[in-house]
Amino acid sequence: MRRRELLAGLAGAGTVVAGGAIAVYGIPSTEEPEDAPDPITIETVDAPGSDAGEVTIPASDRATFIDIFGTWCPPCVEQMPALGEAYERVGDDVLFVSITNESVGDGRAITEDELVDWWAENDGNWTIGLDRRAELTERYLAGGYPSAVAIDATGTVQWSDSGVKTADELVAGIEQAIEASPGADS
Amino acid sequence: MERRTYLRSLGVGSLAGIAGCLGDDLSPLGSDDSQTILDPPAEPRGDPSHPVHGEAFPSFSLQDPLAGETVSLDDFVGEKPFLMTYFFTACPDGACPALLLRLRRVQEDAAERGYEDDIALLAATFDPERDTPDVLEQYAAEQGVDLDAGNWNFLRPETDEEARDVINDEFGMRYERVDDPDDLDGDDASLDGGEGGHEDSTDHNDSDDGHDSDDGHDSDDSDDGHDDHDSDDDHDDHDSDDDHDDHDHGEYTFSHFNLVMLVNRDGIVERAYPSAVSDRDAVSIDTIVEDTRTVVTD
Repeated sequence: MRRRELLAGLAGAGTVVAGGAIAVYGIPSTEEPEDAPDPITIETVDAPGSDAGEVTIPASDRATFIDIFGTWCPPCVEQMPALGEAYERVGDDVLFVSITNESVGDGRAITEDELVDWWAENDGNWTIGLDRRAELTERYLAGGYPSAVAIDATGTVQWSDSGVKTADELVAGIEQAIEASPGADS
Repeated sequence: MERRTYLRSLGVGSLAGIAGCLGDDLSPLGSDDSQTILDPPAEPRGDPSHPVHGEAFPSFSLQDPLAGETVSLDDFVGEKPFLMTYFFTACPDGACPALLLRLRRVQEDAAERGYEDDIALLAATFDPERDTPDVLEQYAAEQGVDLDAGNWNFLRPETDEEARDVINDEFGMRYERVDDPDDLDGDDASLDGGEGGHEDSTDHNDSDDGHDSDDGHDSDDSDDGHDDHDSDDDHDDHDSDDDHDDHDHGEYTFSHFNLVMLVNRDGIVERAYPSAVSDRDAVSIDTIVEDTRTVVTD
């Protein structure tokens, strides 16, 4: 059935759709929209709050929040406290990751130890991923560093912005993505 | 030459080029549009240091250490078009992966659409000192390059001097080694390649707040974040070319153009995408892929 007819039918029946409001970015659906891009799997780093391994972004079972940063970027340092607070407040409800595309390794722009030191110095306490191929950056960077990106469980970006944000701004953006995710309570 | 003087003179030179370059139309002086498949680019390019739309790509001959072969312009003229970009593996901020991503997307598109034998993807390092064949091999895997497709060549000048002669001088793909990242500040480190507004360089530096990802970093604060990477030796000598003695080899970086070149099978430049990692349609992956398809199937 076409979406318009479905919606008209639902509205006519007085049915509440997704908590009473249609999400700003589109009609919520329990199926993955055909234009949601494929998730990307990247390497994660052994650092405070982060385990070595892999992470797939965006998650399909919950909302995802990405902080795109670089150790070379002073505003990214400024952003860390608000990220920490946002992580405390909503980190359990989403996949919460910081990613960098800098060249990490021996003889590279920074070594892994240097990255971990930066993380520890700035009280990082959640998953860090290495976007070595800059594919996540290409897809999600919102104009500058740092970028904050909140994606719902269908892979749709619900909120993103660049520059230093407050914890309240970050949490509000993340909650938009949570609310737009199927199965979310209103 | 003193690095700061050299950098300033690059800026002055390109401005002089602009002043003399207002032709009757948008095409750069000296271009011959009859030899190109694509129309002139929408963004006027002025007269940058490297060839642009309608101009001949300079002849070259560089080693691909992974394929174990020499790669020359002659391999392509009369045969197939190519895309070329320029990188170093120790790139701090994702600009180089973003450049390679453009070539990789073309590689994928070529495989999907069946033109994989009709296009060449050339990725040249300007940092052969650190980008040894082993490092390039590892980097290729990290970056997801398909080396089995037979259409990708990593090009590696044998020495820093050859890199300078070929890439900086012959190709006009300007880059400058920076031994002390703290020396970088906005004015000195900009490598303005020409008018047209977009020939920004990547300074691998930083700025005040939420700075532009337009190649990253156009501003002039010194970078506290790199303090850890400074060698503790004295930095009195700013000559970047031949002093490696007191500096850890892993700690230098580069200012460089973010350039992707599309050259047709007559060896004529179709596009010289400037600031090719910034968020403009004119240099988006889609644009580069579409332009390449057009040039291949002509």
